[in-house]
Amino acid sequence: MIVSKAKERQDVINMLEGVKSVFLLGCSECATLCGTGSPEALAEMKESLESIGKKVTGTFVAKTGCQVLGTKVELKANKEEVDAADAILVMSCGAGTQSMVEVFKDKKVYPANDTAFLGNMTRFQHFDERCSMCGECIIDKTGGICPVTTCPKGILNGPCGGTNNGFCEVSPDIECAWAKIYARMERTGELEKMRQIIPPKDYSKKLSPKVFVIEKKKEEK
Amino acid sequence: MKRLKEALEAGEFTITAECGPPKGTDIAEMLEHARHLLGKINAINVTDNQSAVVRIGSLPVCRLLSEMGHDPIFQLTCRDRNRLAIQSDLMGAHILGIKNVLCMTGDHVAAGDHKTAKPVYDLESVQLLQTVAALNGGHDLAGNEMKGATNLYQGAVVTPEANPIEPQMLKFEKKVKAGANFFQTQAIYDMDNFKRFMDRARKYNVKVLAGILLLKNAGMANFLNKFVPGITVPQELIDRLKAAGKEGALECGMDIAAEQVRIIKEQGIADGAHVMAIGLENKVPEILKRAGIA
Repeated sequence: MIVSKAKERQDVINMLEGVKSVFLLGCSECATLCGTGSPEALAEMKESLESIGKKVTGTFVAKTGCQVLGTKVELKANKEEVDAADAILVMSCGAGTQSMVEVFKDKKVYPANDTAFLGNMTRFQHFDERCSMCGECIIDKTGGICPVTTCPKGILNGPCGGTNNGFCEVSPDIECAWAKIYARMERTGELEKMRQIIPPKDYSKKLSPKVFVIEKKKEEK
Repeated sequence: MKRLKEALEAGEFTITAECGPPKGTDIAEMLEHARHLLGKINAINVTDNQSAVVRIGSLPVCRLLSEMGHDPIFQLTCRDRNRLAIQSDLMGAHILGIKNVLCMTGDHVAAGDHKTAKPVYDLESVQLLQTVAALNGGHDLAGNEMKGATNLYQGAVVTPEANPIEPQMLKFEKKVKAGANFFQTQAIYDMDNFKRFMDRARKYNVKVLAGILLLKNAGMANFLNKFVPGITVPQELIDRLKAAGKEGALECGMDIAAEQVRIIKEQGIADGAHVMAIGLENKVPEILKRAGIA
C-alpha cells in the first residue's frame, strides 16, 4: 500500500494560514490502514482545528481517493459542505490530494500527510519498503528480494564491502539485501542464477510523469 | 620500477600505495608524500571522494602524479556520477595518459560529510567494469562507436574478510567475468583467512594485491574492528600495539605491516601488496625496507 505519514500539526496549521473553514477528506484504503486518513484521524483533526478557531464544514472518507471519478461522484452528497469551505484538507496520499485538485478546479486543496513509499505491512501499522516501482522487475533473478529497493546503493550484482554480518554499513537497522538474497537462493536451489551479471537498469522506465492505459480487448467473434 | 601492468604481467611482486587528495586546493603536503614514494612503488592509487567526503577529484590528481613520474591508478566510484559522466571521465583519463582504473561502487553518502546528497549509483562496480571493457573495445555503453578507444588496465576491489564470504566470492567471480585484470583487497590481517581466500581466487586468471593497512596505534585497531565492516584486527596485534606504548605504537604498526608484506611475498600468497598508510605515505618506503623490498 501507499504509506503516508501525518505532517507535523504545526506545519498543517501554517499551511492553513488565512483559511477560515476547511472540509476534511480521508480515504478508506491505504491512509486508513496507516491511520492518517481514517474516520478517527479525521475526527481528531476536526477537533484540533476547531480548537484553534477553524471551522470544519464537513468530513468524508472517500472509498478510494486516488479514483478521481468515483470520488467525484461520492462527494456530490457533500456538495454544500465543500462549497462552504475555503479549502479542502486531504488526509490521504499525494494521489488522493491531487484527485481533489482535479475535481475542484477553483478550490484550495492542501495535503495533511507526507507520502512516504510503497510499503508492505509486516506487522500491524508497521510498514517496510520492498518495492520502489522501478518499472522493470528483476526479482526473478534475485530470489524474489529486490536489491534496487532494499540495498541502499541499489547494487544489482552482489554485496559491497560494507556487508556486515548480515547487516548494512549504512545503518545497523538495515539487513544486507545481498546476504538475504544469497541465503534465499541457496534455500531455493537457484545459486547458479546468481552468477549471471545483471545489466544496468533502464531508467527510461522510471521517467515521470507516467501514463498507463489498459487497452480494451477486442471481443472475440 | 615497472608500471603496474608490466610488473604484474612479468610476475614481479608488485607494490602499490595510496594517496587521498585533500579537501581544499593546498596539495603541497600530498604531493610531498607522493614524492617520497617515487621509485619505491609500481603504482599509486588516487582515491575518489573516499568515505563520501568531498575532496579534490581523483582524475586531476592522477594527472599531476603522472607528471611527477608515478603510474597512477584512477579510483572511480559510481556514487557521484551517472553513466554519461563515468564514460566521459574514463575517456578523459585515457587522454590524460592515465593507464589504470580501479572500479568501485563507492561508499554511501550516509558515511560522508554531505549526508543530504543524492547518491547516484546509476551503475555499480560490476557494470562499471563492463563499461571500461566496452570503452576499451571502442564502443560506449549504448553500443555507439567511438572515435578512438580507451586503453585502460582495469582493477576492482574485494573484501576477503567479508561476512558472509560466499556472496562476496560470487561477486568476485562476476568482477572477473566483467573484465577485472587485477584486484586490490580490503585490509587483511588474518593471514590464514587470507590464504583460504587466495586458494579460491587463484582459480581465476587475475592478479591480487593484498591490502595492507598501517595500524598507527591500538585505538585505530579497535576502531576498525568496531566500525569498519570487513576488517578484523586480531587481538594479538592489538596487544602488541598496546605493549609498544604511546611512543612506540607507530613503529610497531610499521613492523606489523612490514611482516605482513614479507610473509605474502616470501610465501607467494598474493601477487603483490597494496600499502595504505592514510596520511603517513612518507612511512611507506621504510615499511617496504623492513619487509625486505629494496
